[in-house]
Amino acid sequence: MRQDDSDQSRPSMQRARARIIAPVAGVLNRAGALSVLAGLLWPVQAGVLAGAIAAWVADPGDLRPTLLAALLFLALALLRAGLEHRAGALLFAAADRVIAAERAAILGREARQRAGMGSAALAALTVQKLALLQPWITRYQVAMLRVAVLPPVLLVLAFWHSWVVGLTLLVAGPLIPVFMALVGMAAEEASRRQLGEIASINDMLMERLAALTDIRLLGASDHATADFAARAEALRLRSMGVLRIAFLSSTVLELFAALGVALVAVFVGFTLLGEIGFGSWGGRLSLGQGIFLLLLAPEFFQPLRDMAAAWHDRAAGLTVVEELEALDRAARSELVGQGGRAPALPGPLRLEVRGAVAQLPGRVLALPDLALGPGARLAITGPSGVGKSTTLAAIAGLLPLAGGRIEVCGRTLDGATADGWRARIAWMPQRVHFPDMALADWLGASAGRGEELRAALAQAGAAAVVEGLPEGLETRLGASGSGVSGGEARRLMLARAILAGGDLLLADEPTADLDTETAERVIAALLRLNAGGRALLVATHDPRLARAMGQVVEMTA
Amino acid sequence: MRPLLRLLGLLIRAAPRPLLRGAALSVLVLLMGAALLGLSGWFITATGLAGLAGIGIAFDVFRPSAGVRFLALGRTAARYGERLLTHDATLRALAALRVLLLRAHARLGGRQMAALRAESVLSRILSDVDALDGLLLRLVLPLLAGLLSHLLIFAALSWLTGWAVALPILLLYLLAAVAVLLWLGRRSLAPSAEAERHKQALGRGVIDMLRDREALILSGQLDDHETRLIACDGAARRATRQLDRAERDAGAALAVAVALAVAAALLGGGWLLAEGRLDPARAAIGLFVVLALAETLLPLRRGVAELGRMADAARRVVPGLAEATDTATGTPEAGAPLLVVDRPGLRFTLAPGEALCLVAPSGAGKSTLLMQIAGLDPGPGLRLCGLAPQDCPEEALRATLAMVPQRPALLAGSIRDNLALSGVGEDAVLWQVLEAVALAGDIRARGGLEAPLGEAGQGLSGGQARRLCIARALLRRPRVLLLDEPTEGLDAETAARVLQGLRRFLPDAAILSAQHRGADHPLFDRIVPLSSGGM
Repeated sequence: MRQDDSDQSRPSMQRARARIIAPVAGVLNRAGALSVLAGLLWPVQAGVLAGAIAAWVADPGDLRPTLLAALLFLALALLRAGLEHRAGALLFAAADRVIAAERAAILGREARQRAGMGSAALAALTVQKLALLQPWITRYQVAMLRVAVLPPVLLVLAFWHSWVVGLTLLVAGPLIPVFMALVGMAAEEASRRQLGEIASINDMLMERLAALTDIRLLGASDHATADFAARAEALRLRSMGVLRIAFLSSTVLELFAALGVALVAVFVGFTLLGEIGFGSWGGRLSLGQGIFLLLLAPEFFQPLRDMAAAWHDRAAGLTVVEELEALDRAARSELVGQGGRAPALPGPLRLEVRGAVAQLPGRVLALPDLALGPGARLAITGPSGVGKSTTLAAIAGLLPLAGGRIEVCGRTLDGATADGWRARIAWMPQRVHFPDMALADWLGASAGRGEELRAALAQAGAAAVVEGLPEGLETRLGASGSGVSGGEARRLMLARAILAGGDLLLADEPTADLDTETAERVIAALLRLNAGGRALLVATHDPRLARAMGQVVEMTA
Repeated sequence: MRPLLRLLGLLIRAAPRPLLRGAALSVLVLLMGAALLGLSGWFITATGLAGLAGIGIAFDVFRPSAGVRFLALGRTAARYGERLLTHDATLRALAALRVLLLRAHARLGGRQMAALRAESVLSRILSDVDALDGLLLRLVLPLLAGLLSHLLIFAALSWLTGWAVALPILLLYLLAAVAVLLWLGRRSLAPSAEAERHKQALGRGVIDMLRDREALILSGQLDDHETRLIACDGAARRATRQLDRAERDAGAALAVAVALAVAAALLGGGWLLAEGRLDPARAAIGLFVVLALAETLLPLRRGVAELGRMADAARRVVPGLAEATDTATGTPEAGAPLLVVDRPGLRFTLAPGEALCLVAPSGAGKSTLLMQIAGLDPGPGLRLCGLAPQDCPEEALRATLAMVPQRPALLAGSIRDNLALSGVGEDAVLWQVLEAVALAGDIRARGGLEAPLGEAGQGLSGGQARRLCIARALLRRPRVLLLDEPTEGLDAETAARVLQGLRRFLPDAAILSAQHRGADHPLFDRIVPLSSGGM
């Protein structure tokens, strides 16, 4: 079953490599080469130390070889540190480049071509999950390169001095990949479960924090806390069950490394004593050779252990790439135009929808025919879900058409005209979102527009709303979650739309969920705006609002 | 740094025993690792000497070689135990931190609790808590274990070989390495905080970009917003690069310290040897021990490089963990009216069995008034059993009063789990209350009480979720029931049934409902208009 899984994942593995690793493969290989070079310095350093100790035995009174060895060792260590430092810089830059490019692609695409992913999930992918690619990029490739070069080189050196030591390493060496596969699988499993574990304990916490008002009002604070603690404890027990296995496999790896060192030490010791007469070429192993072999043994296993650790990083990275690919494949509907600033389309206001069909992600929707001139009022009505909001979105160029046409100011609404058309219209969405910014900035009041701002607030009936806020226009509504009621938010949105200017206002359900009195106020504000010359196009199922608009286009399922 | 230390105390208290045993094993692992290489080095050098001298037969090979084998196996076993224990302690601490956080936040005021619904606030809290998860496992434990084992090894080496070999370890490993790590910790503070700030801003900006998408596009600001986000990412990347640079510099500095220690141990051994105070085998021990310890030193920088982020997170998290004590000490008066609201423009008294409908335009402060009566926010002119709600001890207050807020929240889990928050679990009662809120049929159709709900109650319609929340409040059998827009999202017929059902379930409760539809229902004895003057 395992085998099937990995076979299936192979093409996706290749795609992931092509996407994340290949663009920086050159840099990674350079960094890998530096790191391998640093690793190759170790046998030289080991030789220097072995020579020094051998010299102690030969002539204990002579300090010069010791001094020379110390200096040589130090110089080589400096070189090694420098190489690693440089390799690290290359690796960081490579990962940074790849992640920044992926991030920029998401930022540039997701608002223009909307897919189904929720905003919080997208934020998590963009900020936290993309960062998980870094360990994969910086560690895995280098670990692979090191494992391909260093153990074989050290093995050759070991054989050169003693075939028994070489054989010990050779037998332990290939066993390690076998166990490493086990470790890899178990670790992958463990990391996946543990990632899931932490994610789910966080999800549980997040949900409970968001529901705290309810919990407190139910007098269930203690109960809910105890329940959360019990669930967290259950998660811990399950995690530990997984970790026990995962750690056992990596312990086997460490056991080999430790036993490798012990076997080499014992064999060398017995050979030096003359109790073992085989295992070295010709004559007997010298003390220097023995020390050298002892110093090689741990370094033989180190790249293998690094590689096992890098296996985790690769698994985490692949999960992220899978998520990126799923996002790439998601059905999207593309924005018409760029969404940037453009000079407003010239000419008198004119909107005509003729036989238009909107392209939604994965389906199409026929739009009602309608025409609208300067200062006109029009309501689109119909049961919920029939496509009123979609119609408004298509008119604003937020959705592409699959057929028919929309004419704006005498020109076809397309990529060339959409931005200019949008400069003439304002939008009042159905749902409000207050970003974490001062209300004045959200309203779009740049410096020097104080007078206009006051007028817009007054016209929208929102002046009292702002006065009621603790810090007036400087209040950051996004940070406080809910500071205003539904009706107040609606009036603030209207003020924002008024300030946005233009000569057509598209309003999506501007009176939904409002009580009669508040709805009347919003309708009155809309009519005031219309009396000032702005055309209105509203989508609504509120009969009062539809009546106030006069002209009605009814959509039916 | 002080918040971080307080937090450390909290984490340690969460699992002192596994932590202590894990720490002891960590030290043991380091000691055995050093001993393994030290003994091996001594053994080889000593056998080399004996072989040269031709006294191989007299040499006791068995004890040292048994020691080497014991250390190799023992170290591996200790390492396994260490990993298990420290991870166990970490998981316990991680859960304890979250439980503590939940408990502390449960005592916040109504407005602050409402703020917890904002995605940006929640994600900041979670990202901070995540940053602190590594405090024990990646920073404190390895540092302490390293420090302790180095001190022990210094003592042992001084005794075995003399100070000339041991001193370099003390000076270079303890002092130089600690200095490098301190320097790294300090250098990581500013860029860590900086990177975190920009990352949070980026996350919020992505949410804003999608949630406010239409307005951004219509006002032609999408390009600008995107440019701002890219700039934000750029700033985060710059800070991360500084952090990486600091970590690599520290890595190089540690490598140099290790090399100096090795060179010093070599020179020290050689000097003592030349002086005739040591034999070559014992002179070599120091060198091998220093080499073995190098392996433990280098990974420390990873944890230390995270110090900045942890300190930054602790600064935000710890003040919120203060255990708020219930300072309200009033005792409800037995004879006092159940609920009295006495404010200019708004006066009424509510007796058991009465129901009152509060009618007001949105924004007039209905929800605020209900939250104040429920004691979540302070407010004047309120008496609950003769006491101002905020003077009423929490437990007594909750036993008297239940409230269904305007936007009630459900949890992932079964229908039963959600109802169980009320403290009631008997099936018969649960079904009875579901009947009362006209939801029993829907729940049966979904598979009964064990039917699962998704995150935040996903799977139920808005109206069903609201009725489930009303049912949950009814199960508390409160003497005062506050309802904020109980009929929103319900059609007129269902709304009427729900109002009827809740009176049947709670015949004696005083009910105060704020709603702008269905005020003419026979449930209500009185209708009171709330003008903004009432606030």
